[in-house]
Amino acid sequence: MEYYEMLLPGITVVPIIGVVVLLIWRKANKKQAAIIGILSESVALVIPLVLLSVLRRNESIVFSLPWIPNMGVSFRLSLNWLSLTFLMTEVIVTLVAMVYSLGEKTGEKHSNYYYALLLLFSLGMSGTTLSDDVFLFYIFWELMLVASVLLILVWGHGEIRFKVALKYFIFTHLGSLMVLVCLITMYVNFGTANMTEWMAQVSSLPVNMQVFMIIFFLIGFSVKMAIFPLHIWLPDAHTVAPMPVTIILAAAMLSMGTYGILRFPFTFFTLERLQPFAIWMMLAGLVSEVYGALMALAEKDIKRIIAFSSVSQMGYILFGLGTLTIRGMQGAIMHVVYHAIIKGLLFMVVGILIAITNERDIQKISGLGFKFPALCISAAIGVLGISGMPPLGIFNSEWMIFAGGFDSGVSIALTVMTLIGSLLTVIYALRFFGSIFFGKRLPEDLPKKAPLALVIPTMAVTIFLIIQGLIPGPMLTWAMKGLAGIFGGIF
Amino acid sequence: MSGVLAIVLPVAILIGGAFIIYVLARLFNLNNRVEAILTVVVLAIALMALVNNYHQIEELATNPDAVFGDFSPGGIVLIPSALGIFIMIISIIVSIMITIYSGEYLMRDSRYLNYYPLILLTQAGLMGMFLSNNLFNLLLLTELSTVAASSLIAFRFNQHIAIRAGFKYLIMNSLGTMMMLLGIYFLYRSTGDVHLFHILSAPDNLTRIAAGCFLLGFSLKAGVFPLHTWVPDVYGHAPSAIGGLLAGVFSKSMLFILPVICLRLGMTYEELGTYLMVFACFNMLVGSVRMLGQNLLRRFLSFSSIAQTGYLMFGLGIGFYYNLDEAFSAGLFLFMVIAIMKCLGFLASGIYQFYFRTQDITQLQGVGHRMPLVALCFSVALAGLAGIPLLAGFTGKWIIFSVALMTGDLFAIICLAIFLLTTLISLGGYLPLLVRQYQKPNEGEQVDTDRQYPERVSGWLVAPIVILAMLVILIGVFPGPWVSLIDYVVGWMVI
Repeated sequence: MEYYEMLLPGITVVPIIGVVVLLIWRKANKKQAAIIGILSESVALVIPLVLLSVLRRNESIVFSLPWIPNMGVSFRLSLNWLSLTFLMTEVIVTLVAMVYSLGEKTGEKHSNYYYALLLLFSLGMSGTTLSDDVFLFYIFWELMLVASVLLILVWGHGEIRFKVALKYFIFTHLGSLMVLVCLITMYVNFGTANMTEWMAQVSSLPVNMQVFMIIFFLIGFSVKMAIFPLHIWLPDAHTVAPMPVTIILAAAMLSMGTYGILRFPFTFFTLERLQPFAIWMMLAGLVSEVYGALMALAEKDIKRIIAFSSVSQMGYILFGLGTLTIRGMQGAIMHVVYHAIIKGLLFMVVGILIAITNERDIQKISGLGFKFPALCISAAIGVLGISGMPPLGIFNSEWMIFAGGFDSGVSIALTVMTLIGSLLTVIYALRFFGSIFFGKRLPEDLPKKAPLALVIPTMAVTIFLIIQGLIPGPMLTWAMKGLAGIFGGIF
Repeated sequence: MSGVLAIVLPVAILIGGAFIIYVLARLFNLNNRVEAILTVVVLAIALMALVNNYHQIEELATNPDAVFGDFSPGGIVLIPSALGIFIMIISIIVSIMITIYSGEYLMRDSRYLNYYPLILLTQAGLMGMFLSNNLFNLLLLTELSTVAASSLIAFRFNQHIAIRAGFKYLIMNSLGTMMMLLGIYFLYRSTGDVHLFHILSAPDNLTRIAAGCFLLGFSLKAGVFPLHTWVPDVYGHAPSAIGGLLAGVFSKSMLFILPVICLRLGMTYEELGTYLMVFACFNMLVGSVRMLGQNLLRRFLSFSSIAQTGYLMFGLGIGFYYNLDEAFSAGLFLFMVIAIMKCLGFLASGIYQFYFRTQDITQLQGVGHRMPLVALCFSVALAGLAGIPLLAGFTGKWIIFSVALMTGDLFAIICLAIFLLTTLISLGGYLPLLVRQYQKPNEGEQVDTDRQYPERVSGWLVAPIVILAMLVILIGVFPGPWVSLIDYVVGWMVI
């Protein structure tokens, strides 16, 4: 076994070590707990970076250990370009959220458990992207859910959190079960849980079974992506969760649905089988985009506005996937990354706004622009970014998505409608920005400065966003390489 | 009486142990804990005898001479089966946990003298049911275990509600036994014999009626819809330890005796499979819907037990309907994990009852902060029953799913859809209960802590639940060895 194959499980093992340390060290205060959390997460970030050079030479890196031989299940991780993109996004988002937590009240009590759960949440996501064995995949997939539910339950806002967490759990579990049915169908038919071995055998399945599985996969993963009308868990969960958790939920966890679609139906089934679903995916994407934007316009709670904007943005991504063209999918993957950055940024801005004004109603916050210029600039960049303003990232990805839409030849009208629909995004984004930072100034009793731990990650992400937007080349290549295995590798 | 002595040894140990312990306890006025330890010793010896039989499973299952009994007409004949040995091993392990637990749980009861012999007799009766080849003996042994179990349920006889529960159990289960007696009558009229291995050839209508009677009788004992109505009342009011034993092992094991007899009496695989699968759906639905909003822990667990009976029937039903060995493995695996998790749930909730004298979750809200370890174990049980990954329940769910999808048949898929629906519904039952252990108590609903809050939860109570919780996690993380164990047993299973 090569050294790099031994490194791969480190991405999952190091956070587990961090969790164990945190569970043992019960007296750790928030800073100490944060250091452990950030350290182990950083290692999880460094490993894929180290493996990057290896990945350039090989197509993928695989680590495999026998686990339950009589059920054909093994502990099998695989890193390829597709999983790398999602993995990096998720780990970076978690790191940022961990730093951001330091400036927040969240997790002051039981800090060790708080950071342990953040690590587990992240572990669930990295495991999901890495696992090459369905049994393992599903375990990580559920770990992600359980950890986030616990975070909402314990550190969420208000008594309503119990109901919200339950709704979130049951609703997303419904999606998970639909996915599970498909996974087990394949597992039973192929007699192994090893997903790489499935590739060759999928075509042997009866056609109607393939169709049925595509439907289940798409619906199941759409629940996680919060596509209308399967989004109803999202606004509440995002609003009630503490801000750092909201950041991870919106910026990282939603994209796991996208990963799932790319990893399962798009990898295993042929273009011919998926083609009938193109129009439906595009349509669902359009509806979600418009609905999310309209709801964002109608909402008063600033956290909910950004939450609904996620529904809208996921609509773009599904639309891009639905085009079934290389450009559209490339755009979708890029959109995942850019959306993660921008959504993280916007939620961080909202967090700071709530911290300094102690208010969540958009009508009660106004005129902050002159008092907090740096925050104003960050918000402006976030808002312009999400509206698709060049050269900020989303411009690139939306360009690709729409190009894919025109390429696909499914329906030009749908693409045009989606393009025009994106105007709604601009409207709610500018309304959000305008009414908060301009207008009547609030009374002067506001604190002078926002906490540094909140500002630093916000600024860092802002700068990162600008760099990403200016130099989209590497991202484009990654997304391109990530699509190598799609539809049995026709690209 | 002749034959292989090893077959009857575990039963003999249990029955003999019951009498010896009772006599010793009476003579020397034994302390509750001493009696518990003695019972554990007897159970452990019986377990060793069983494990010894397990090692000779190949010999016992294949050799036609491996029987024990009186071969003259009307004599008792005991035939071992791989299935029976496996189920009894689980049952005895669970009983050992329950006995240790009772070492503290019964400290406030004066009648503990009878308690432990009754547990041993219940086990002996159950084991006899698996061994017995003569239907009349089967009936007697069923009666033995039923009567012992009902006295255990009504053990706290000074509580009105306990007497009612015990009485209800006795009446309902006697009804089941009556059905079986009726079955024996029909059988005897038709064939003039009550030995199972004589009645293999050409069943006529009367034997089929007899099969139906046995089906009803065992369904009643297992709590199959619509004969399930006694389950919540009985297990909800029985002592927690007994609830764990009966709901986790005893009533579920009836589902494994049922097919052995009904198939011999001329029921076809398909009929039995259809019956099990259709009623499995009802059980799953009724159990999971009724468990929603239950505040009393044991009542909640009883309803979830009805749902789990359904899951088991589903697995077995697929096995018979499609003649699939994997489904029997799935059923046995599920039996094992449900026994462990259900017992864990009952025992942990019993600790709350023991210290706080309530099993109402609204009053127990926030109990997780006062008894973190117990609450953790109870949470493991609930999460396991809900099927959260890396716990035993998830592996069980995975295996049952695979089996159902393996058939690729519409009937199985429809039942699977109902299964899926009910797992989702039941989440609405398990999760709130789990969470409320950690939620802040509502004003005015908190139990009076000054008087009842224990310094420290007794080790006798904690040790069994910790062991069971660790088993739940162990089976969840490393299901491999357990699956092969069960595959091995199924390999030697003769139905």
